[in-house]
Amino acid sequence: MADSGTFDAADVDVGDGFDDAAAADGLQARLWKRLLAYVLVYRRDLALLLALAFVTALLEAVYPLIAKWVVDDVEANGADAAFAWWAGLHLACNAVMALSIAGLIGLSGKIQAFTSHDIRRDAFANLQRLSFAYYDRRPTGWLMARLTADCNRLTDILSWAILDVVWGATMMLGIAVAMFVMNWRLALVALVVMPVVGWVSAKFRKRILATARVVRSTNSRITGAYNESIMGVVTSKAFVREQANARDFGKLTGVMYRASVRNLVLAAVYLPLVLLLASLATNLALVVGGSMLLANVIGVGTLIAFLMYVRHFFEPVETIGHWFAEMQMAQAAAERVLSLVDAEPAIRDSEAVRRALAAQGRRPAAAGVAADGGAARITRIELKGVGFAYQDAAPVLSDINLRVGMDETIAIVGPTGGGKSTLVNLICRFYEPTAGQVLIDGVDYRARSLHWLQSNLGIVLQNAHVFSGSVRENIRYGRLAASDEEVEWCAKLAGAHDFITEMEHGYETEVGEGGGRLSAGQKQLVSFARAILAEPQILVMDEATSSVDTETELRIQQGMKFVLQGRISFVIAHRLSTIRNATRIVVIDGGRLVETGDHAALMAANGHYATLYRQQSLDEATKRWDASG
Amino acid sequence: MKMHRNTHRSEAQNLFGLTQGQRLRYCGAIVAIALSNACMIGAPVVAGHAMDVLKERDLAFGIALLSWCARAFSALDHASAYLVLSGVAAVLLTAVGAGFMYLRGRWAAVASEALAQRVRNALFVRLHNLPAAFFDRADTGDLVQRCSSDVETVRLFLSSQVVEIGRAVLLLAVMAPVLFWRDARLAAVGVSLMPFLALGAFLFFSRVRRRFEAADEAEGAMTATLQENLTGIRVVRAFARQEHEVARFGAKNRAHRDKLYRVNRLEAMYWGVSDLFCLTQIGIVLIVGGVFLAHGGITVGELFVFVSLTSQVIWPVRRLGEVLTDSGKALVALGRINHILQAEQESREPRPALARATGAIAFEEVQAGYKPDRAALVDFSIHIPAGQTVGIVGPPGSGKTTLVRLLLRLYPLHRGRILLDGMDVRSVDRHWLRDQVGVVMQDPFLYSRTIADNLRVGRPDAPDAAIVAASREAAIADAIGAFPDGYDTRVGERGVTLSGGQRQRLALARALLKDPPVLVLDDSLSAVDTGTEQRILDALAGRRGRHTTLVIAHRLSSVRHADRILMLERGRLVQDGVHDTLARTPGPYRRLCEIQGLLDESIRRDQRVAAPRRGGGA
Repeated sequence: MADSGTFDAADVDVGDGFDDAAAADGLQARLWKRLLAYVLVYRRDLALLLALAFVTALLEAVYPLIAKWVVDDVEANGADAAFAWWAGLHLACNAVMALSIAGLIGLSGKIQAFTSHDIRRDAFANLQRLSFAYYDRRPTGWLMARLTADCNRLTDILSWAILDVVWGATMMLGIAVAMFVMNWRLALVALVVMPVVGWVSAKFRKRILATARVVRSTNSRITGAYNESIMGVVTSKAFVREQANARDFGKLTGVMYRASVRNLVLAAVYLPLVLLLASLATNLALVVGGSMLLANVIGVGTLIAFLMYVRHFFEPVETIGHWFAEMQMAQAAAERVLSLVDAEPAIRDSEAVRRALAAQGRRPAAAGVAADGGAARITRIELKGVGFAYQDAAPVLSDINLRVGMDETIAIVGPTGGGKSTLVNLICRFYEPTAGQVLIDGVDYRARSLHWLQSNLGIVLQNAHVFSGSVRENIRYGRLAASDEEVEWCAKLAGAHDFITEMEHGYETEVGEGGGRLSAGQKQLVSFARAILAEPQILVMDEATSSVDTETELRIQQGMKFVLQGRISFVIAHRLSTIRNATRIVVIDGGRLVETGDHAALMAANGHYATLYRQQSLDEATKRWDASG
Repeated sequence: MKMHRNTHRSEAQNLFGLTQGQRLRYCGAIVAIALSNACMIGAPVVAGHAMDVLKERDLAFGIALLSWCARAFSALDHASAYLVLSGVAAVLLTAVGAGFMYLRGRWAAVASEALAQRVRNALFVRLHNLPAAFFDRADTGDLVQRCSSDVETVRLFLSSQVVEIGRAVLLLAVMAPVLFWRDARLAAVGVSLMPFLALGAFLFFSRVRRRFEAADEAEGAMTATLQENLTGIRVVRAFARQEHEVARFGAKNRAHRDKLYRVNRLEAMYWGVSDLFCLTQIGIVLIVGGVFLAHGGITVGELFVFVSLTSQVIWPVRRLGEVLTDSGKALVALGRINHILQAEQESREPRPALARATGAIAFEEVQAGYKPDRAALVDFSIHIPAGQTVGIVGPPGSGKTTLVRLLLRLYPLHRGRILLDGMDVRSVDRHWLRDQVGVVMQDPFLYSRTIADNLRVGRPDAPDAAIVAASREAAIADAIGAFPDGYDTRVGERGVTLSGGQRQRLALARALLKDPPVLVLDDSLSAVDTGTEQRILDALAGRRGRHTTLVIAHRLSSVRHADRILMLERGRLVQDGVHDTLARTPGPYRRLCEIQGLLDESIRRDQRVAAPRRGGGA
């Protein structure tokens, strides 16, 4: 399996208990049944695969027979033996065999490619539904690893393990039957070693598995150490950490060396041992079969066939053992992937809303009525005793009371980590309050449709995320049906039009992955234009223009008046101009709403806001001077 | 193309150089596998002879040694005795072969793992010793990949592919003579298809490599779309674009599936065709051997030997083509590793005799920069006596941070020199030099270890009391106390995440604990609020004279009380003096004071205007 190690399962420990070590003991039928459902979608391919595996295994059992027949024929008829016939038979078998092998590999590959596509499709769709709380605990890299490396690993097992196990089992069975039919006594003698092989395999596989696990986790720690050494290279140099770091790393590679060698040496004992046992079986057959030959109970052809059979018989044992071990190892991966597919979003439409949406169906809603049957227009938002805490942790916000009406712009200010962004996330229903209520026009928003609320939002974030694609596509993301004129109009309002037209391909300029070809300020402007285009009823700006230069900022201010009209807006800002223009200022500190009022009133109160304002003005003024210098 | 081949040749030489110290083990492994093969081949030969003895009831058909033994202790009849002896001999041969196989596995494992360990350690050490400029040009993800998956590719090549190639070649080398010696004609028939098989496999895999790459690229595109969606998930939700995203990802997902499937069909075809070759080769030996048997050219035992050996050797030969194409990948990976291992390191100079510098710094007509055409510092000269506190201000890009980097000798000078205690920094050991300086950066890096370990970075033997004292001075002790495990709290990925201000204060505590002759704060209180900043500045004032201190800052409050303030503009020193003088002299520093002063004034006015209104409203 191509495991790059970059997205190794063990890279990130999110403490959800799906540990390789914990899940590796025994096979959990529940998991595999669930995964098998994905394969059963392609049951026709699977049936054909099984049939071909059967044919292949049978043919494997036929080849020694052909050898026997040829020898027997020559023994009986000498030069008059039917060589042409046997050659033809052999060739015919070869042709069938080649076709089935090609079919087997093709079908397994198809099942692998298609099931991993399906699992990824389902997991991705579910990721689009899951709440932000789910993302908080799982870094992007962790999620990616589930949909790439884990997914490939599981479908590898689902397709190739099925093939190998069915083929191996059928072949062993076919050979056993053929041997028993030819001479059951000799067959018993040849197979007497089998239980020992099984026992040895189980014993070794378990220990190989345990060491492989250490290798895997050490490997991801080594990758982490490289990552850290590169990210922190200047610090390590400044503190002359070179030797200390190398010493620590040397310990890590030492662990890796010992674990890997142990793992490989175990394999180096296991394989020859199985070979030796197989040879014991073969030669038992030789001695006993030879005596039978001497006693004229069997012919020389039968002896040849037996010797060939016994040698082939033990070949699948190793493969089957490998897959069982791999299945045990991959159970943690299965657990993680399925948890992703099955996770229920913490925030979703209530039963009543879902019924209302279903009743509405595809019919267009009446004017002024949203798809969930509630009012389409938002004129008032009210927070009543709202509090929020992450599971078991101290509350991030408590007892927030706020009433906001149409055309109002609320500036939210306060120190970092005070809970400003959380407040906005609650209003957008990215999180739901753990205490109190958020009311939209008097209705608890949990009684409304999530999609309705969120499609009425326009959000601009400090770390403005831009997708790869053209500038135009990015702005149009706000409203997919918007015309080119509308896109450009919004870009003008957002103060983005000028820099866009100055770029080589104007609106068609590709912004690169993650908007890499745009500056931070340009990304903010594009995402501002995108939010305006969405014609949101609620506009949220979280440090939305922090990286924009002063001149552009001034220009935005003019468009802003127009943009804020007819909406409810929340602005988290450092810029004094933005704060001063708000209709009301809310100061959040330590998770509580400590002050509220307009600029003048809060300055006069000479409390939190006045202090914050002073500090902010100083930084801002200095930076502006710096920039002009 | 020609150049390409040349680099490959030099990579191959590097590969050979890498095996130094393990070569004996490698040779041992290859010899062991040859001996093991020889033994394994022996078993069917023994069995073949036994068949002839049984069939002809004549010990003359047996292997001479076994026949002699059978005659010697013939309690049974000779044929039965020979039979039992054959069985024992074959098992013994296999046992010896299995022993060699074990040795091969063990030696190959030890050799390749030791090599991998050496390469990993060498890469790690080299990464630490490369100049900072190397990392400006490099991408972290790419470097990590070179250190992890490229090393893995080379390791796999050394541990299994080299041995696999050795196995196939030796198997042929051992078997061909055995077969030709027994019956040259049948042997010729027995290997007739093998060259085509190996060549065909090689051609096939080199041809379809592009298709494989196309599938890899499709996977890359899918992964990129996934990553974009996950990092931008807030935007997706904010605009309720879930369906749009599902469609977008769906297209990439399907494209990947279809490309993968296409590659797979090619592989299926290959395995089908090559199986046909292999089976036909065995069939030819069987039928032609049968004809020879009928005409008395060979015995039935020999036929058995030929059929057995042909089928034993044909599968490794088939693998040969695949393995050879894979080895190309190993050479590419090795080249990528060597890019790091052969990059030029920082030079090492002798360590000066003195243990600790006093901290006197001088820049003499220094000119330096990151790009050859643009200097970050121009004709920069300054003398700072030991123990002085110097404030450095100036707009972004004026060269403040460059000063620090040059002092640490992270980047080279174009012209001029920098002296510490009167010694040119280029003439002394970099490690000693850096030991004399404690730096706090704006966006400091913390290791993913405990807070205590992070603080001890500059002074590993610091007692707990010293750690707490330094944390107090940096105004971070309370915050640390609030963490679940206090000083044993882990920082980073699997531990707590710290705010920007907390990181800056931790980094400050780390530098204070080191207690260096030179302390540099590079805009390192920018994320700390003004109140906390004042507490820290007071603590630093208490240390005055103990370190030569350079404070780079935006806020006037950070530098106002310095012994001396330097004003930088476009890489030049434009003003140098104490606050009181500079604030009176017309120039950029005074402008800065005015802006910040005006602001204070306007705030006071704001409050005066607002106050009566508030009073009136009440």
